[in-house]
Amino acid sequence: MTRPISKTVNVPVADGDGERYTLKMGPQHPATHGVLRVDLELDGETIIKCSPQVGYLHRGFDKIAENRTYAQSLILTDRLDYIAAMANNVGYCVAVEKLLGISVPLRAKYIRTIVCEMSRIASHLLWLATHALDIGAMTVFLYCFREREVMLDLFEELCGARLTFSYPRIGGVRQDVTRNFIDVLQRFVAEFPTHIGEYETLIDTNRIWLKRTVGIGVLSAAEALELGLTGACLRGSGVDYDIRKHRPYDAYDLVDFEVPLGSDGDIYARYRCRMEELHQSARIIQQCIDQLPPGPIISEDAPDLVMPLQGQRKVEAGSSTYGTGLIRLLEDKGEFPVGDIYVSTEVPKGELGFYFISDGSGRPYRMHVRSPSFIHISALPALAEGSMIADLIANIGTLDVVLGECDR
Amino acid sequence: MQIQYKPKRNLLQTILHSEIMQGMAFTLKQLFAKPITRQYPQEKPEIKLGFRGQHALVRDQETGTSKCVACMRCVTVCPSRCIHIRFHEDEERGCRVVDSYDIEALRCVYCGFCEEVCPVNALVLTEIFEYAAYNRESIFFDQERLLANWDAFADMKGSAINGYINPFWRPRGIPERELTAAKRLDVPDEWTIEGQVVGNLVKRDQ
Repeated sequence: MTRPISKTVNVPVADGDGERYTLKMGPQHPATHGVLRVDLELDGETIIKCSPQVGYLHRGFDKIAENRTYAQSLILTDRLDYIAAMANNVGYCVAVEKLLGISVPLRAKYIRTIVCEMSRIASHLLWLATHALDIGAMTVFLYCFREREVMLDLFEELCGARLTFSYPRIGGVRQDVTRNFIDVLQRFVAEFPTHIGEYETLIDTNRIWLKRTVGIGVLSAAEALELGLTGACLRGSGVDYDIRKHRPYDAYDLVDFEVPLGSDGDIYARYRCRMEELHQSARIIQQCIDQLPPGPIISEDAPDLVMPLQGQRKVEAGSSTYGTGLIRLLEDKGEFPVGDIYVSTEVPKGELGFYFISDGSGRPYRMHVRSPSFIHISALPALAEGSMIADLIANIGTLDVVLGECDR
Repeated sequence: MQIQYKPKRNLLQTILHSEIMQGMAFTLKQLFAKPITRQYPQEKPEIKLGFRGQHALVRDQETGTSKCVACMRCVTVCPSRCIHIRFHEDEERGCRVVDSYDIEALRCVYCGFCEEVCPVNALVLTEIFEYAAYNRESIFFDQERLLANWDAFADMKGSAINGYINPFWRPRGIPERELTAAKRLDVPDEWTIEGQVVGNLVKRDQ
């Protein structure tokens, strides 16, 4: 007796005659993009049950942040989604600025938008490279890394690091951009659409790529919303939700860009969405370069990096030691505000939210990170159950998870 | 914006494998392009100014030792708490004297906050990045080791070390009044607010 187990894949399944077996895929598996373990219950090659096991990379950021000042906790966000650390940094700073009521100078907003979009390009290129590599298209991998290298070199020039940037600062950014940075970026942005065309030449209409992606991992718009997906995973299903557009932060309301939407909700639609986002990112960067205004790069009332509260006390006591280094203080606020706040930003993977409970002490009483990868990996059973084991690899790839962010 | 798909291939294209041929043609073209691979151990990468690498304490030309004044700002700001300073007060001169200055480099996260808050530019993250070792002791930097790191960096830079200004000593785009006297260095024009890069569509109003 056979029965269909899924609407999308009509595979006959043998009933309870001992053919089922379990397979633990990972945590050391090249296609799981980090230390992800997936416990599979299989019938032949068909997945009956799939449960992702996370936590191999847990470092307890939420707890560490409770013992660090807001400025110090910035370095933790580098290590969330290490592929796009800049976007996490900016997201964290936007959240803390909202908590403290700091307004950022316009120039800093533009610079942040530039680096966020550069980060999106770097992240999407790495996603495309590894996703294609998982499915079997190795050539794309090499070309994607060629362009990603340019991004990393630019980041190195800007802030001295290639991966863990810690570049934005609460109330602005750390370093101004240089002429060389802008020139190289300008050249890159001008020629980047050609490079996207090259990747598309290799896989866009390739019949093997189409066989592996079209109609696989289908999620309807309602399902995607129910699973809490965000970012390109949600937009591939046709839901128009982009925080950059709908709740703009930084300079996103000052630039013109489109939100690409798919309709099929399969792996190919999500792939097309991300490719289109690369075009849009290049467009945003070009506009930001053209509109980059003069002015300060850090707000006057940004908190002191070293001792946010002690600086205030010293000024009140009339001490002359104040005023060294990059010290600033909250002018009319003696203390940090009390309360809680949730602020989300659009990182390459989806919606990254920071939830703070502040007790006015200069350190978060509680910090929670709503990371897109954690939500996305929990959608894996919905995608994979009932499909073949070979498609599981494609499904993990299309969700674009980074386990550093997933486990925090 | 709705995403666009490329048109479906027709029978002829299917038979001729046209899309695979296009891909192969592109790869074949790349065979004759200039290689971009860097043969790392033989070919060193070009390190940008301000790269956050191995730690060093700047050797003061006049005294021959570190510039550190034991203000403890780097210790306070360090997010991974890897800097340890011991000092005593010199009553006669009325200043602090550093007894020991240790950096546990294995705990360091290379955020560069320490060099940024240092009021006298005593500390720097150099452009040296190859210092892997076989034991933990050799990556624990005490004061002598940190000064030796600076000498190694000075050797690497050659004569350029005299005009060396780390971007974290004097951050680009920060007005001079925000900085201590030691940090008000003579920097290129584009590092100041007046000389900063602006967009093509923006007219600087003066």
